[in-house]
Amino acid sequence: MSTCEDGVVARAVAATDADEATAAAETELYRRFAPRVRLFGLKHLPDRSAADDLAQQVMLVVITRLRAGEVREPDQIGSFVLGTSRMMVAGQRRGERRRAAIVARFEPFDEATETSNDLALDSRRLAPCLAALRERERTIVLMTYYADRSATEIAAALGTTAGAVRVSRHRALASIRDCIEAPRAS
Amino acid sequence: MTNTSAPCPSFGELSDYWTSDITPGDAERIEAHIFACERCARMLADAERLRDGIGALVRAGSIQAFVNDAVLNRLARDGVRIRSYALGPGETVRCAAWADDDVIVARLRADFTGVESVDAEMRFDTGEEWAQATDVPVRMGETELVLALPAALVRSAPTGPMRLTLRRSAGASGERILAEYVFQHEGTLQR
Repeated sequence: MSTCEDGVVARAVAATDADEATAAAETELYRRFAPRVRLFGLKHLPDRSAADDLAQQVMLVVITRLRAGEVREPDQIGSFVLGTSRMMVAGQRRGERRRAAIVARFEPFDEATETSNDLALDSRRLAPCLAALRERERTIVLMTYYADRSATEIAAALGTTAGAVRVSRHRALASIRDCIEAPRAS
Repeated sequence: MTNTSAPCPSFGELSDYWTSDITPGDAERIEAHIFACERCARMLADAERLRDGIGALVRAGSIQAFVNDAVLNRLARDGVRIRSYALGPGETVRCAAWADDDVIVARLRADFTGVESVDAEMRFDTGEEWAQATDVPVRMGETELVLALPAALVRSAPTGPMRLTLRRSAGASGERILAEYVFQHEGTLQR
């Protein structure tokens, strides 16, 4: 999907007449970029609900500023959405630090436990694919994605090198992905 | 400015975005790319779903794997109920899974001197294989391997002895059998 098409959609949103075509362009812009903002939020914010909120807030700002003619280069809308995402995450972090400082002064509190049981992937498909890995690869995958360990830490735990861990991890993920995709393809 | 002429990263490179290995510079490079490339954004989302799904499976106690303290500590932090059994070479342990256990852990002690990896298999007394693993990494100086099993799987297993054998991985020289352990499985227990 090209930046060019993103730019066409952005220019349609920026058209001054708020008609049905503009509304459709806004919907299309949201469809294209809200998932990317959400991914950015998943990386930089503490939980999924914060990432969902970020996607909505960023897209609201982007569409509002496009409508107001405040986006100088609609053809580079991706850069604008990314920049807005970065600014809003930085703002949320500042706000969070202020909130934490206030809370720490006045009361001890427990961090909320994530309670979502929503399996993003069908576990019936993922479990056998994970089980089909060689043990070394499974260990690396679990240490990376469950225990949040770096390749250097995993290498130290397994008596190998960080480079070898990364290679094994890439190979394992490719195997899992192929395994999951296989039933769909057949 | 997004760089649309940059080549698309591989799935492996995109999946690194979700690890603690990614440098800030590489994260920014990937972010700039996905905001200009919907296809790669979808692949990044695939990698995230994979990460999330793996975490959910482990938290649900659904994974059979050789693990280490990093994974066990995280399981404990996530409130996963773990029951552990420890045994040395040639030993037999009476074991059972309680109805509310999530994960059963077997701590398998042995002399792993000079061993880089092992294969493992569990068999019933009938000889029927129940579980197996190949290429279990062994760190230099290791004195035990930790096998995590889904408690639900253990509960569904018939009662009686199960023999676990550790062997040097295929291709290694010398005697292949390193140790054998017997789990006298007594079924599911209720509190």
